[in-house]
Amino acid sequence: MILLEILIKSFWAGIAAIGFAILFNVPRRTLFPIWSLGAIGGLIKFTAMNYHVGIVFASFMGTVCIAVIAIQMAHLRNSPPLVFSIPSVIPMVPGAFAYKFMLGMIALTSMENTDAYVQTLIETVNNGAKMMFVLIALGTGVAIPMLLTRKESIKKSDFNKKKKAIG
Amino acid sequence: MKIKTLNEDSQSVGNILLETGAMLMSSGASSNRIRVTLERIANGLGYKTELLITHRALMLTIIEKDQQHFFSRLKRTSPHGVNFRIVSGISHMSWNVLEQNWTITQIADELRRLKSLPHYPRLVILGFVGLAGAAFCRIFGGGYVEMIVAFVATVTGLFVRQEAVRVKFNPYLCVYFAAFTASFIAGLAEHFQIGTQPDKAFATSVLFLVPGVPLINSVTDLLDGNIQNGLIRAINGLMISFSIAMGLFSVRMILNI
Repeated sequence: MILLEILIKSFWAGIAAIGFAILFNVPRRTLFPIWSLGAIGGLIKFTAMNYHVGIVFASFMGTVCIAVIAIQMAHLRNSPPLVFSIPSVIPMVPGAFAYKFMLGMIALTSMENTDAYVQTLIETVNNGAKMMFVLIALGTGVAIPMLLTRKESIKKSDFNKKKKAIG
Repeated sequence: MKIKTLNEDSQSVGNILLETGAMLMSSGASSNRIRVTLERIANGLGYKTELLITHRALMLTIIEKDQQHFFSRLKRTSPHGVNFRIVSGISHMSWNVLEQNWTITQIADELRRLKSLPHYPRLVILGFVGLAGAAFCRIFGGGYVEMIVAFVATVTGLFVRQEAVRVKFNPYLCVYFAAFTASFIAGLAEHFQIGTQPDKAFATSVLFLVPGVPLINSVTDLLDGNIQNGLIRAINGLMISFSIAMGLFSVRMILNI
């Protein structure tokens, strides 16, 4: 049941987003939208990865979707888009890769054997590169709707607009 | 745009703008958002401003109509603690200033109100961040036992961090303490072989410390051309990550896992 597994993971991605939202003290009216955004982002990322899309591009797709919907949410709930997009994107932060990268770097400081050293070096560089590019993908993905609409505030933009709003 | 002549209340305008900017910076807004918001408020009040935004200080100059006099001041921003309620409130306020012609007194009152807005209750924060830790563990493929371990580790780690922040330790040291506590609890579970994949709980117990806001704001700033601020934020994020790694490393040395 791959589909069920993806849905469950997305549900928990939303919960992780809520955890960070509460840590960042977001207004109460934005909590449910943040949960849905986190879950939608997770759904897109995990589905894409299920179809063998690389983790960097999968994260990018999830983030762009979050950022586009966050603008709609900002119109509806009267809060700037970053209040929605940043907590929802954080579950996609490549914590596992960062962890493996750091452990690899630490392991490299105490290695003598050349073969083992090369093997660890390869894995460490791979994890570090994935971590860096996922982070760039997240940052760019969050900024993309604003870059494309070329507006300083979503309030002046008609993009996704249904209601008078504040940004 | 009409530019007013400077009078005695230009000082309070400058001070209020700096106060707003400092609040935005410490609450986790990107440099571009701070610039746009402050210029919007200044426009609403009828002044033109030039701004220098750095990570720990703001410099503002208000220019007079005939360019004969100006007001200029530097303000140090307080240490950073993400608070999106303030970012959201100031965004509202800036539009009110522009569209409903708010006065300086109204702005000052609103800033005071925003500062006094409550955080979520501590137990709620601990509980939900703990759930987020469990959620990370589930996403990385842990089972129920690992999720409970991650929950307990995260709650204790966050508690330690809050206490360390309260007694004003160095911010990176606070992160180190939290990472050490959280991973020590998860490491104990791994040491005593609780659950089938205890390493999942160990890797995810510290994820609540991930510097998401500095890193995302860093990329946003770099894209907006605020390269200096972007680099500073990135290095700040890296130092937080490094503190987390040091916490994990200490625990691995102690428990030998």
